[in-house]
Amino acid sequence: MRKMWIIARHEYRVNVRRAGFIIMTALVPLLGVLGLLIAVFFGGQASAFFERQFAPEPKEIGVVDHLGAFTPLLPAHQDHHYLFADEETGRAALRSDEITTLLVIPEDYIQSGQVMIFSKGSGFSAAVLEDSAGVRGFFVDHLLRDEVYPALRKRLADPIEPVLVSLEAEGQPQGGPLGTFLMIMVPYFVGILLIMTIFVSSGYLLRGVAEEKTSRVIEIILSSVTARELLAGKVLGLGALGLTQVVIWLVSAFGLSRGAVSLLGVALPLLTRSEVFILGLVYYLLGFLVYAVLMGAVGALGTTMQESQQLAGIFSLMAAIPLMLGGFMFSNPNMPLLRALSWFPLTAPTMMLLRLPMAEVPVVDVVASIVVLLISIPVLLWAGAKVFRMGLLMYGKRPSLAQVVRALREA
Amino acid sequence: MTQAMLEVHNLVKRYNGFTAVDVLSFEVYEGEIFGLLGPNGAGKTTAIRTVMDIFRPDEGTVQVLGQPPGMTRERIGYLPEERGLYRDLKVLDVLVYLAELKGIPRPVARPRALAWLERVELADWADHKVKDLSRGMRQKLQLVASLVHDPELLILDEPFLGLDPVNVELVKGLIRESQEQGKTVVLSTHQMNMVEALCDRILLINHGRAVLYGPLDEIKRRHAPHAVRLRTPTALDVLPGVVRMEQRDDTFTLTLEGITPQELLRTLVERNIPVEAFEVATVPLEEIFIAVVKERSHA
Repeated sequence: MRKMWIIARHEYRVNVRRAGFIIMTALVPLLGVLGLLIAVFFGGQASAFFERQFAPEPKEIGVVDHLGAFTPLLPAHQDHHYLFADEETGRAALRSDEITTLLVIPEDYIQSGQVMIFSKGSGFSAAVLEDSAGVRGFFVDHLLRDEVYPALRKRLADPIEPVLVSLEAEGQPQGGPLGTFLMIMVPYFVGILLIMTIFVSSGYLLRGVAEEKTSRVIEIILSSVTARELLAGKVLGLGALGLTQVVIWLVSAFGLSRGAVSLLGVALPLLTRSEVFILGLVYYLLGFLVYAVLMGAVGALGTTMQESQQLAGIFSLMAAIPLMLGGFMFSNPNMPLLRALSWFPLTAPTMMLLRLPMAEVPVVDVVASIVVLLISIPVLLWAGAKVFRMGLLMYGKRPSLAQVVRALREA
Repeated sequence: MTQAMLEVHNLVKRYNGFTAVDVLSFEVYEGEIFGLLGPNGAGKTTAIRTVMDIFRPDEGTVQVLGQPPGMTRERIGYLPEERGLYRDLKVLDVLVYLAELKGIPRPVARPRALAWLERVELADWADHKVKDLSRGMRQKLQLVASLVHDPELLILDEPFLGLDPVNVELVKGLIRESQEQGKTVVLSTHQMNMVEALCDRILLINHGRAVLYGPLDEIKRRHAPHAVRLRTPTALDVLPGVVRMEQRDDTFTLTLEGITPQELLRTLVERNIPVEAFEVATVPLEEIFIAVVKERSHA
């Protein structure tokens, strides 16, 4: 046990100084600082800025009113709308860039609903105009100017102003479609970030084992400790390393919350929903243990670093399956396929890390996936240590599948 | 020298149908330098790895310091044949880490490691990375790594591999010094001259089987070519019991038949032949090995 701690400390100290670790760890706080700078630059109006970028509205709109319901224009719309006597005059104004769009409202508009929209270039601005709240307001205001009072007209043009309230964070409305979009995307990417740290840390393990094997130091180490102590010590030390990375990220996220987080306009559900946060950490640790043990064993099997990495790719691909199913995740995080993958030890950690922030995951999935992982880890450690022990001393030749199976069967 | 530090009985180890060690038995006694000899691929390293609990035996038993393999790791110093060190770590850090793994507390390990580095003239390199060392320096560092925790049993697998003559002498000195301090040394090598220079007893193996086993002197005597070497300034005439005579300068090699060296010496004295040197002729261990292997293969 003591030797396992010595190995863990050694692995931590060696890897915490690696350039790759330092760069990766510094990247997130640096992005936060960047976010802070952008927030300052836009004077706290970042959300509105992004909304404008995503949904630009045409500024100057010409109107040819064959129906007669829009003449004269109401004062509230006179700033950006201009009446033209006929279509030809309107087209000339469009060609000379006096207006950006021309609306031609026919006499039978009430029956047909058809409006001709002229624009220069592509039809993109016309499509945007069709869906624009401003245009809806223009039509409702003029068509109902004599029948309905102004406040109701405004409501008819834009019936709801969504205020999203999370039951867990009641009273903290989150605004706008952009906010909704980010509320889904941010935790998804936080999940991906956690998954990345799992792979980065277990990647160090793979590299460390492959290095020890190729540099022939492994036999000296095995004369002092058992293969199981060595593997467990490495997993522990590099697990602590991964946690260090996550803690630095979280601390910097809190520290820069006025920057990156408020720029995005949402609080991270991973942080505000405490059970998601705690479960996220649990899956992070379990996921790390599963992959670290696998990477340790695989690292011992390869004869070179490159070969070990190729072998590890098989498991990385398996773990990346949940990431590839992002489309399904957004439509229904509790669909049967995703639930099934949450019960499989090699995909459970990544799948649950992605599902948890996006929906209320059934309790049975949480319990089952944790139980499966808790059973799998000691089994993997047992099997991994056997393969590890066999692979470590095979220089220049990769063990065959039959040899791996034989090693697992040996007492 | 009666307590067995290492006992191997009927050890068998196979890989994929190939028998690397084939019913091998030997004992190593306290305070001796024991030579494990054999050509490349004879099974020496496999036997040692089994002793070190790196491999599990297929058959047979092994007792190290009175216990099964793996129970006494901290009391053994091991220099494997396939050896290397962490290239990107500092020399002192490597030694301290390896000493800690052998159960030496960090505060003790550090001064002890520094003292060893001083002893092998590597103190100036303590803060350099291992990759900055020359091959010979790395070899010395590896040997020190097997000694830094002051083991009772030292197992050295091909310790002279790749060393220049100066460092060979240094390593030989360290091995002798270890014996003087009461440590037991198992020296595995295919360099038989090293064994002749250092070992008390030997086990010679070939194809995983014991070929010769016992005290070195006795083995050499047993395989001596019934001949004596005589140095005399006088020309020699025919002597009774001497069937062959070879001369190089003033030294004669006399092959005897029907008489003992003592009887020949008596004859020389009776005939007033001046004797400046007289010894029973021996053959190099290598020749004994070749002869025994040939004999076994013809049998």
